[in-house]
Amino acid sequence: METVLEVRGARHDYGATKALDGVDLDVGAGECVALLGPNGAGKTTLVNQIVGLLPHHGESVRVGGGDPRIAATRRQLGVVQQSLGFPTTLKVSELVTGAAVRAGKPRSAAGPVMAELDLTDLAGRRAVKLSGGQKQRLQLAMALVGDPRLLVLDEPTAGLDVPARKRFWQILAERRERGVGVLLTTHLIEESSAVADRVVVLDRGRVVAQGTPDELVARLPDRTVIARTGLALEQLQALPGVVSLRTDGDHVHLGTRTPEALLRVLLVQDPGLTGLRVEGAGLEEAVAGLIERGAA
Amino acid sequence: MTRQVFGVEVADELRGIVREPAALFFSVVMPVAFFALFVSLFGKFSAGGLSAGTQMIATFGAFGVISVVLMNPGLGVAADRERGWLRAKQVSSVPIGVTLAAKVVAALPYAAGVLVAMTATAALTGALNAPALALLRLGVVLVIGSLPFALVSLAIGFQVKAGAGAAILNAIMIPTSVVSGLWMPLDIMPPFFRDIAAFLPNHHLSELARAQLNGGPVLTHVLVLLAFAGVAAVAAGVSYRHARS
Ligand SMILES: Nc1ncnc2c1ncn2[C@@H]1O[C@H](COP(=O)(O)OP(=O)(O)OP(=O)(O)O)[C@@H](O)[C@H]1O
Ligand SMILES: [Mg+2]
Repeated sequence: METVLEVRGARHDYGATKALDGVDLDVGAGECVALLGPNGAGKTTLVNQIVGLLPHHGESVRVGGGDPRIAATRRQLGVVQQSLGFPTTLKVSELVTGAAVRAGKPRSAAGPVMAELDLTDLAGRRAVKLSGGQKQRLQLAMALVGDPRLLVLDEPTAGLDVPARKRFWQILAERRERGVGVLLTTHLIEESSAVADRVVVLDRGRVVAQGTPDELVARLPDRTVIARTGLALEQLQALPGVVSLRTDGDHVHLGTRTPEALLRVLLVQDPGLTGLRVEGAGLEEAVAGLIERGAA
Repeated sequence: MTRQVFGVEVADELRGIVREPAALFFSVVMPVAFFALFVSLFGKFSAGGLSAGTQMIATFGAFGVISVVLMNPGLGVAADRERGWLRAKQVSSVPIGVTLAAKVVAALPYAAGVLVAMTATAALTGALNAPALALLRLGVVLVIGSLPFALVSLAIGFQVKAGAGAAILNAIMIPTSVVSGLWMPLDIMPPFFRDIAAFLPNHHLSELARAQLNGGPVLTHVLVLLAFAGVAAVAAGVSYRHARS
């Protein structure tokens, strides 16, 4: 499979914050890779290096073999950015047509893409007057109209309703059949399982896990047992079914896929246990667990 | 290809100016209104064979083009940056220089419009006495000579918000223009104004324009403006590289 995106040892510091701390990532032609991670994991920072907004070091980021800091390389990119604002003076059709021309396509390329994204009826509206989901669709239309080899989408489905989301996945699937590579960021593990061939989990600037969605889901805890306990961390780690472990003040958070079995043993080992709670594990929890185990 | 891209960029900018004219309104109307006031008061006095009204097209005209070109591209960039729209331009395959050049070019018709309005006002008040060709040369000199000011505008636009930018740019433009003799002739101003004016590009632009009417020397003015353009280009480049996002 031809590689359309190659990231090797990407780093970025914002002052003392290591937003990216040696990230490797590949996207092949026709492949969809989901970049998953909690708030502040470094997803947008990585995306910004890939689309040429932030400097990268040496040759750590290659799009279609080229440096995205060079304008001509970006001809191969279609981008949906997080929190993009549109100019107050331009209409939907003008923005899509403009994106076509800027990408070296004829103005007539705009019509079909607008139709594909259900924007035809909104063509004469000012972009700033659109709803959040409509704006997302507009950004996607502007990204697609240039026939990119790589789509880089930062939380593209944020604000989309269920039908729009389905439509969006359909459109991605069509493009992938034509060999377009896709990198998308998301908080939603369900979303990445639905669309991605491969999921890369980022946390605190590092890749902490990757694999197919199924492989990943099988490894992630789906329940968190929270309690105040006198047991040592090593003892907790050794309990049956504990796949993640995190402390939060005087509470421990144990991630597991088998909470009943875990609780049985836990209550025997520590009869003085207090403050017991069992919750669904969010992504934050799941990812935190993967780090403690050093899984990567 | 590049021409089409540039065309789209300029068209977008012109739409912006036409659909939301408020920003440009003051930078066009204020100089023309001042000009109308001064020319109706003093336009018919004559100095060195030229009516004061004709010479004011060089001085107020310089103020007018500087006012348009100093405000427009920079505040546009600042607004785009605040909205996050500049990022969309930056990730496109259009080099950022093309986008910025389009912002500058889109302001030029308005700069030319200011000059036409002033010339018409002078003619209407009967204060115009220069050959058409000289006036045309004057207009070309002013419009081209205003370009380095656009670079200053961009340099500021990359650093501050649009609101602050307007205040800062006015705070630069008005005092330097007054000291340069763009509002009132330096002859009637305190002598030290002239010493300061010698260092101000505003002054050299208006003198270069005036030379088109009275055939005065141009070399010093051209050199100063070129040097100013170089400094402004570097400032704009550095400012872009350290732009606030
Ligand atoms: N412009 C900036 N200046 C300083 N620190 C920043 C800046 N942008 C991001 N950071 C920090 O870098 C880290 C990574 O941020 P980033 O925006 O890449 O995260 P993210 O994974 O996209 O998060 P989210 O899911 O909230 O979008 C965070 O700690 C963030 O606070
Ligand atoms: Mg983000």
